Amino acid sequence: MKKAVLAFVFFISSMHTTAQQAQEVLDGVIKNYEKVKDYQADVHIVADISFIRILPMNARIYFKQPDKMRIVSKGIAILPRQGFDLMYRSITDKNSFTVVPQGNELLEGVQVQVISLLPLSDTMEVIIAKFWIDPQRHVIMKSQITTRTNGTIAAAYSYGSFATYGLPDQMTFWVDVKKFKIPKAVAADLNNNEKKEQPKGKDPNKGKIAITLSNYIINKGVPDKIFQEK
Amino acid sequence: MLAIIQTELVKIASRPRSYIGFAAITIIVSIIHLAMAEDGISYLGFITQSFEQSFFMEGKILNGNLVCFIILQTLIIQVPLLVALVTGDLVSGEAASGTIRFLTTRPVSRTQVLLSKFAAGGIYTLLLLLWLGILALAGGLLIFGNGDLVVLKSDELVILQQDEVLWRFMAALGAAFVALLLIASFSMLLSCYSDNSIGPIISTMAVIILFTIIGTMDIPLFDKIKPFLFTTHMVVWKSFFDNPVPTTQIWQSMIIMVLHIAGFTCLALFHFNRKDILS
Repeated sequence: MKKAVLAFVFFISSMHTTAQQAQEVLDGVIKNYEKVKDYQADVHIVADISFIRILPMNARIYFKQPDKMRIVSKGIAILPRQGFDLMYRSITDKNSFTVVPQGNELLEGVQVQVISLLPLSDTMEVIIAKFWIDPQRHVIMKSQITTRTNGTIAAAYSYGSFATYGLPDQMTFWVDVKKFKIPKAVAADLNNNEKKEQPKGKDPNKGKIAITLSNYIINKGVPDKIFQEK
Repeated sequence: MLAIIQTELVKIASRPRSYIGFAAITIIVSIIHLAMAEDGISYLGFITQSFEQSFFMEGKILNGNLVCFIILQTLIIQVPLLVALVTGDLVSGEAASGTIRFLTTRPVSRTQVLLSKFAAGGIYTLLLLLWLGILALAGGLLIFGNGDLVVLKSDELVILQQDEVLWRFMAALGAAFVALLLIASFSMLLSCYSDNSIGPIISTMAVIILFTIIGTMDIPLFDKIKPFLFTTHMVVWKSFFDNPVPTTQIWQSMIIMVLHIAGFTCLALFHFNRKDILS
C-alpha cells in the first residue's frame, strides 16, 4: 500500500514538474515576444485558396504592443483572420488555459517540445491549442489551434536573424474553408454555368496562405495614426 | 456611301426612341452608383460572409472598378434590348412610314442602302456602349476611387490588380461591341421581313430573352443547346476578367459572333434586294 501511495505521489509530482517545465518553455517564448515593443516589416503574401484567384501581393505590416496590428497594402490582400493574434493570446493568457506537455518530437531536424493548451472554460473560442516549440531558441515552430467557429488553423514558422525576438521570416497558414457559393442573382453572374474542376491533389476544404516577412524594423517606434488610418 | 450613312445617322438622331437607351443607361447606372455608395459595404459583406470567418480581405474592395463590373454584369441583358429598339426599326420603320419606296428609287443600290443602315446602326451601338462605359467606369472611379478589382462569380472570386484592370475593360467593351453588332444585324434581318416597327423589335427581344433563359438554366438538356445559341457567346466579354485570360475561348466566340453578323447581314441583303416593295 505504501509503495502504491509513493508511486502515486511520484507520478503526480513528476506530472507537476513536466507541466512546470512546459510552462517555463512557454514563458521563454513570451519573454521573446515581450522584447518587441513594436515592429514593421515588408510582407509578401501568397494565397492558395480554391475559390479565390489572386496574384501574390506585397504589403507592409505594423505592430505595436499590446495588440495593435495593421497591414497596409496597395491593393487587396488575403490574410487568415486569426493567424497572428490568436496564437499570442493563447500562450499569454495563463489564467484561461491548462498547460499539458506532450513530449518531444523531431521537426525539420530540430528537437521540439510539444505543448497543448486546454481551456479551463468550455465556452471559450479555442477548443485546443497545440504548439511545437524549439526550447533552445524559445520560438514556436508549428501551431495548431482548433476553434469553435473557424475550424482548425494550422501554421508553420521558420526563423532567421530575428529569432531572438520570436519574429519569423516565413509563416504558412492552413485554414479550414467552407464551400463558396453565392446566389447568381446577387453576384449578377446569371450566365455562369461553368462546372469548376478542382485541381488534383488539392484539398478544396483547406486554404493555404504563405507570408514571407523581410526588412524588419524593430523597436524604432510606430506612430499610432498608422493604426487609425483606414 | 458616307453621305448615306450620315443621312441614316440623322434619321436615327431625329427619332425620340433613339434616346431611350441613353436615358435608361443613365438612370440604371446612377441608381447602381447611388445604391453602392449607400449600401455597397453591406452588399459586399453578404458576398464575403461565407469565408470571412477564415480570411479577411485587406484593402479597398469597394471601388470604381468593382462598381463598373457590377454594372456591366447587370446590364448584360438590357443593353441588347436597347440596341434592338433602334436597329429593329431601321428598315421596317421606313416601310411603316411609307418612305421605303422613295429610298429604293434613289440612285444608290439597295445593298448600299442596307449597308449604310447597318453602319449607322453600328455607330449608334458604339455610342451607346461608350456612354455606358464612360458613365459606369469614369463615374465609378470618380465616386468610389481606384483599386484592385474583385470579379464576382457565383462560385469563386478573381482578384485583379489595379494596373491590370483598364485594358481588360477596354477589351471587354470591344467584345461587347461585337456582341451588340450581332444583335443589330439580327434585328435588321427581322426588320427586312417586316412592314411595321414593333414586330422586329419585339421578336428580337423575345429571342434574346428566350435564349438567355435557356442559357441561364442549369438543365442537362439545355447544356447541349447552349453552344449553338448566340447569346452564349455574347457574354464572352466577361472572359477578359478571368486570370489567365482564356484567349482560345475568346477567339472562338468572337469568330462565331462575326460569322453570325456576316450571315445575318448577307441574309438581310439577299431578302432586301429581292423584296417586292408594295407600300
